Amino acid sequence: MSIRFEQVTKRYRGVPVVNDVTLEVAKGEFFVLLGASGSGKSTLLRGIAGLTDIDHGRIALHGRDVTFVNPRDRGVGFVFQHYALFRNMSIADNIEFALRIRGVPAARRRERRRELLRLVALEGMDERLPSQLSGGQQQRVAVARALAHEPGVLLLDEPFGALDAKIRTELRRTVREVQRRLGTTTILVTHDQEEAFSLADRIGVMHMGRLLETGQPQQLYRQPATRFVATFLGAANLLLGEVATPYRVRVGQAMINHASQARPDAVSSTEVVTVVRPEDIELARHRQVLANPCLGEGQVLETSFGGGVGRLLVQVGAGANLRAAARVDAQVHPGLAPGACLLEVTRTAAEAMAMPLAAGDSIALGVRRLHVLPTPVSSFLFRAPTREAVLELRQSPLVAQLVQSTRANLSETIVAEEQPGTATLRSAGLVVVDNTGRTPAEIASLVAHGARRLLCVPRGAALPRRVIIHCPDDAPQGEAMGLVASLVRHINAEATFVSVMRRDAVAAERTRVLRRLLDTRAEVRASHGLDLRTELLEGAVSEQLLALASGPDPALLVMGIDGDRAEIEAALVRDLGWLFDADARWPLLLSYSGPRPAALAAVL
Amino acid sequence: MARESGLQGWRWREASVLPGFGLTLGYTVLYLSLIVLLPIAALVVKATTAPLDAVLHTLAEPRVLAALRLSFGAALLAASINAVFGLVVAWVLTRYDFAGRRLLDALIDLPFALPTAVSGIALVTVFADDGMVGQWLAALGLKVAYTWVGVTVALTLIGIPFVVRTLQPAIMALDPAVEEAAISLGASRWHTFLRVILPAILPALLTGFTLAFARGVGEYGSVIFIAGNVPLHTEIMPLLIIIKLEQFDYTGAAILGFLMLALSFVMLLVINLLQAWQRRRLGLGA
Repeated sequence: MSIRFEQVTKRYRGVPVVNDVTLEVAKGEFFVLLGASGSGKSTLLRGIAGLTDIDHGRIALHGRDVTFVNPRDRGVGFVFQHYALFRNMSIADNIEFALRIRGVPAARRRERRRELLRLVALEGMDERLPSQLSGGQQQRVAVARALAHEPGVLLLDEPFGALDAKIRTELRRTVREVQRRLGTTTILVTHDQEEAFSLADRIGVMHMGRLLETGQPQQLYRQPATRFVATFLGAANLLLGEVATPYRVRVGQAMINHASQARPDAVSSTEVVTVVRPEDIELARHRQVLANPCLGEGQVLETSFGGGVGRLLVQVGAGANLRAAARVDAQVHPGLAPGACLLEVTRTAAEAMAMPLAAGDSIALGVRRLHVLPTPVSSFLFRAPTREAVLELRQSPLVAQLVQSTRANLSETIVAEEQPGTATLRSAGLVVVDNTGRTPAEIASLVAHGARRLLCVPRGAALPRRVIIHCPDDAPQGEAMGLVASLVRHINAEATFVSVMRRDAVAAERTRVLRRLLDTRAEVRASHGLDLRTELLEGAVSEQLLALASGPDPALLVMGIDGDRAEIEAALVRDLGWLFDADARWPLLLSYSGPRPAALAAVL
Repeated sequence: MARESGLQGWRWREASVLPGFGLTLGYTVLYLSLIVLLPIAALVVKATTAPLDAVLHTLAEPRVLAALRLSFGAALLAASINAVFGLVVAWVLTRYDFAGRRLLDALIDLPFALPTAVSGIALVTVFADDGMVGQWLAALGLKVAYTWVGVTVALTLIGIPFVVRTLQPAIMALDPAVEEAAISLGASRWHTFLRVILPAILPALLTGFTLAFARGVGEYGSVIFIAGNVPLHTEIMPLLIIIKLEQFDYTGAAILGFLMLALSFVMLLVINLLQAWQRRRLGLGA
């Protein structure tokens, strides 16, 4: 491994801007870190070079731990967005800077400089000053300068950000070619997905300090695991679907085999989010002529010309039973009928020629291919006795943040507390309730009536900075981890998986608990791409969790549970009894994995 | 049109959307003439019409030579001290944020605002042999007040704001990425400072140095109290000119004034040329 991060974390004023990032970049690989501004990608890059200290974790370059090594001794080349050339030195002196420091004799320096200038296509510019070159040429010099001392790692921080489009493509090609020829392990940071696609061997998408997903460009585009990546890499229609059989899903009126690699057990709920790319939607005048399963019928809302492709916005009316998984701002699309689902469609120029369409035309939509997201949170259901209570729930900082950053569909049911409302609870992605003054019995009842994922938010709960995850020893934890993995990506918090061991535990039990801790971490990383912290505590579960939760930063508690109603209630009282005190302010997220198998229960 | 093309593109001035060029230029010329050029011309006329032997006689006076040496020497030394420590002060004030930074920043301007006589007397109080600092220095055998050291101290105080205020914008304009680039290429802190930071702020540093030096040469009020004004030892040129005036030796005073004018002009010219050369090297245009 050429570059290796282990749980790298960097905080600014207590807020993690880089959050538990673990990543390996192979020797000679061109890795692109992609993210919006403020996602932590540049901070991570600066961490590798040592220009920013990290608060937690390890960084190794070529097998050498450099976490505490002085930046000047790390042997990296760094290219900055605004070139950062030495203005008082000629191009030759700029490039030879690193060699001069290392005491390389003049003849060797000159030879290396010529070679580098040839590589970046700037031969004969040796004696010019940086101010006499264009922006693109200056950045070429910066690349040559960063490579002069033959660094094992080349880091580029938005290197094309300050250049205009044509120069950018040209320079992109140069950088790719230079990298291929020298085989230098390279990490490039950008916010431009087109740039990432054209350069990367592998892309890592960052969001809110977390590395959400890594993969080859194709793979990330076709089979994203998260909502964010699906919509950040190109356009995507997110539609709610219903799992019919493990490999078939119903979306609108269509029944479709989905192409996801996700194991059926990872998609455990009935409601799922499906990704349909604009180019995977087929348009026809009538549903009978469609070559693919029909999603529904709708009207063209808007058309625009984009050169090689034509882009259309199509709305499918409420009657078609097609539901979007993402909220649409009605103000941006004034023509959108209430309850209708908005879809983006692209067609090739040839297709557009064959069937010209204008706004208002009726159209049938077919779907060629869709992908089911393996992450469980598809929509939010707010459950409260009154409209005001729902609004109050939505204004709680944690809920507001989740709603804003997931852009998931919201719905609400206003019910008197006696009626559980089983059907709505069962179909919802995540049920949100007010936890003020509730008892464990009421929570257990909600879970038993179908709320598999339940977020209980007490009044006055602060935005959590920490997520504490606890699964009682005998509860399966796969589902809880999937839920955690998808939720922590939408809040700026550090996630810790906690195991508590009895103080008088015998050696065999200690080994078992420790192994479970490590297994959990490995499993979460493998199946959900999330790196968790782990913590092993000793003593009574309830006391230890309370001590941990009472730390200075606000915490969210996550618990994985199973069993019947009585067992759920017992687990809550035993491990989290204090959470139901009148003045407790901790939000609680429950993940329910179903009743215990009878045979297993008998053994236990 | 025809006239302009005949001049091959040369134009009296670039067209500008801002009106009032003629008026403001006229005012500038008039203002400079009245305030600067006329008095200097009078000085030059007075000095150059003096008989040659009078000029030579005045210049050969040991008191004049000693004062000349002290005035320029102390001003040069003080400006050099300010160049070093003013850089440190400017660096701290621009690069770091700490409690009391704004207060410290405001203090820098104090020597501008304080009547020079006040700072002179204050310095004497502190540095005299029985003063707060002076007594300890005296115990070490160091005499500050009434020696050339005292003169330098006074000129340092007067010059510090010039260096700090000219350096601050230059340091602010430095791109931290350039220093980071040097460090990631393997440069030590010292090397980064010497090869990367210093060349970039050198023009500003030279300007500050020049201003502090020029001010030091002409400084009168704050120096005469701490200098002690011992002929041949701690007499500065401006004081000597006053003495000449008090003796109604107007020609002698004019000769000394002209001498200082000429010396200052030459030194400023040299420094300005140096700066222009620096700017060209940095590619900022002449």
